[in-house]
Amino acid sequence: MRVNKTNYLVNRTPTFEVLTEEEIEAIYYSALTVLSETGVRVYHKEGYDLLGQHGANIEDVTEDSALVKIPPEMVDIALSTLPRKVVIYGAEPDQHKMELYKNQIYFGAGSDTPFTIDPYTGERRRAQYEDVKNFARLAEALPNLDFHMSLGIVQDVAVGTYDRWQYLAMLEGTNKPINITAVDKEGLEDQLEMAYIRVGGKEEWLKTPIFSLYIEPVSPLSHSVEVIDKLMFCAEKRIPFVYTPCPLAGATAPATLAGTAVQALTESLLGIVLSQLVRKGAPMIIGGLMSAMDMRTAVYSYGSPEMALLSAAYTQITKWLGVPEYETAGCSDAKMYDEQAAMEATMNIASAALVGGNMIHDVGYLEQGLTSSGEMMVASDEIIDMVKRILKGIPVDDDSKALHVIEEVGPGGHYLAHDHTFERFKGLIWSPKLVDRQNFEEWEASGSKTHRERVHERVIEILEQEEEPLMEEGMFNELKRICELADEKHKDEELDLDMFG
Amino acid sequence: MSDILSDISTLVIEGNFEDMPDKTNAAVEEGLSAEEILNNGLMPGMDHVGVEFKAGNMFVPEVLRSAKAMQAAMSIIRPMLAETGTETKGTILLGTVAGDLHDIGKNLVGMMCEGAGFEIIDLGKDVEPETFVEAVKEHKPRILGMSALLTTTMRAMERTIKALDEAGVRDTVKIMIGGAPVTQSFADDIGADGYAPNAASASDMAKQFAA
Repeated sequence: MRVNKTNYLVNRTPTFEVLTEEEIEAIYYSALTVLSETGVRVYHKEGYDLLGQHGANIEDVTEDSALVKIPPEMVDIALSTLPRKVVIYGAEPDQHKMELYKNQIYFGAGSDTPFTIDPYTGERRRAQYEDVKNFARLAEALPNLDFHMSLGIVQDVAVGTYDRWQYLAMLEGTNKPINITAVDKEGLEDQLEMAYIRVGGKEEWLKTPIFSLYIEPVSPLSHSVEVIDKLMFCAEKRIPFVYTPCPLAGATAPATLAGTAVQALTESLLGIVLSQLVRKGAPMIIGGLMSAMDMRTAVYSYGSPEMALLSAAYTQITKWLGVPEYETAGCSDAKMYDEQAAMEATMNIASAALVGGNMIHDVGYLEQGLTSSGEMMVASDEIIDMVKRILKGIPVDDDSKALHVIEEVGPGGHYLAHDHTFERFKGLIWSPKLVDRQNFEEWEASGSKTHRERVHERVIEILEQEEEPLMEEGMFNELKRICELADEKHKDEELDLDMFG
Repeated sequence: MSDILSDISTLVIEGNFEDMPDKTNAAVEEGLSAEEILNNGLMPGMDHVGVEFKAGNMFVPEVLRSAKAMQAAMSIIRPMLAETGTETKGTILLGTVAGDLHDIGKNLVGMMCEGAGFEIIDLGKDVEPETFVEAVKEHKPRILGMSALLTTTMRAMERTIKALDEAGVRDTVKIMIGGAPVTQSFADDIGADGYAPNAASASDMAKQFAA
């Protein structure tokens, strides 16, 4: 074959970068400086003792915590054993899996909103078991959502055991991979037991883990006792976990975004070092959840351009480090699914996808992460679909340049009936489901519906679909029994409160 | 109003804490009373800041800088106010409740209330009910403010109120609560006196309680 091309770069997908490699290195080495010189506070004796035994300086020991300063070589050692790829499976492992490594994108819901918007009444109220189950059913039905989280804190059950009920509700609704939350280590142990049952035993779990755990240290630079308990338990049991600080530029992190990235990375690095000391090869994913404080309302903004920018920067940093990443998109500060929600979700979904974040969560979040919405989830699914079309890019080769077709059709002809069009248009020319492209008369004839109305109808349509249960009754009862036993154990801790009054 | 009082108001509005001590001392030397400095210099400045903040013309870091300027003056005139027995706004006891390390909201409330003329005693984060009780007994605050970010830890607010009740000091303080998952109906349920959805309204509420 004759070769007449050289240095011809092929760009199959558009790329989006906000940092150069030099800037990434500058942020990383700054994080190492903060970790070794400023240090982080660890509220867990076993945790800081272990770090101390392996070379960390333990200072300012108080009744409940210590300041831990970790030298860079400990980070190097930890990174050498940290898995570069983490795989999380769905409850039926042959149906769904997420392979988290560089540039693999997966979208999923956010978790644990105190409130939700009732799909029928539009009312904002406290979330209940049925809501969490319904959100899981939406996730199961929506093709661009790859994993799921509990879009609501279940508040019609005991406060100390709601995590088990959330997991049960999600397992009722979806077979996709789940990123759980846990009240404490005991809640995690119970849910692990539930997962063993769901996947067919501990051996099966080890081959195909069907959940990861969300763990959130507190910014700035603090790692609470519950957080370290969960981290150490996960590492020991080889449970994949997400370690994501949520620094807020200008409030719990520097106002300058580079400083926020440095601090977030420092917080994640503590998780990396400690997890690898507990068990070499412990799988983890680092976050990815950063924004700027809105300086008028003092809220944690979930629709800010700074969040999109910081998420993109963090994705690049983690790709450079070779660590699977947790990202944030599909979320908004709007109070209901409206124009603002669509606008903010489009921006953050596009930037998260274009930069190549791995586990992109918080689809369905409204009101700074305090409320969940089925409309937001359904609409985001189509936004993701649209963005994925952009990701397919413009392949440039002889077939796609189509010189022979242009020659055949020639000046003044058309391509509509050409085989080249017939054989290729599907998948190349994106076709919407909820976005409206009818002409005016057709739109009027179909009821003059706004986008919001069409999205709402789709939510109701999915919720009212008849489905076969995802689990057999016997298994469901076995899982439910674990939740009930936990309730029984914690019943004396309950306060006499009606959360729905 | 004397020029120097209007200068003090301006320093508050500008958040100029560096020049505030000199200006305050100058006002004292001119023979102005601490009460006049507070009521006709500092407070009009902070009131202006409050109005501008609500209108969206000033932002949180600017308001905090104004509060800092106000504090720079207060540290000079507070002993004089005490000497003359002038009624001050009083003390607010603050803390993030047991089990919760999230304190940015509580810190913000503290700074805002300080700017409104209150004295703040901050117990920090992860504060056990017993610690609140002891502090109420010791400091005899006019107001107790509690904060929580998590639905699991917000229940500690009720435990704290119960503990105050059992210790017989519940009625000595007004209790206000806040935090992302907290609502007015939750505040009503647990027997708090008020719920503030943000730091500015916490400061307004504190002013009402102190009035």
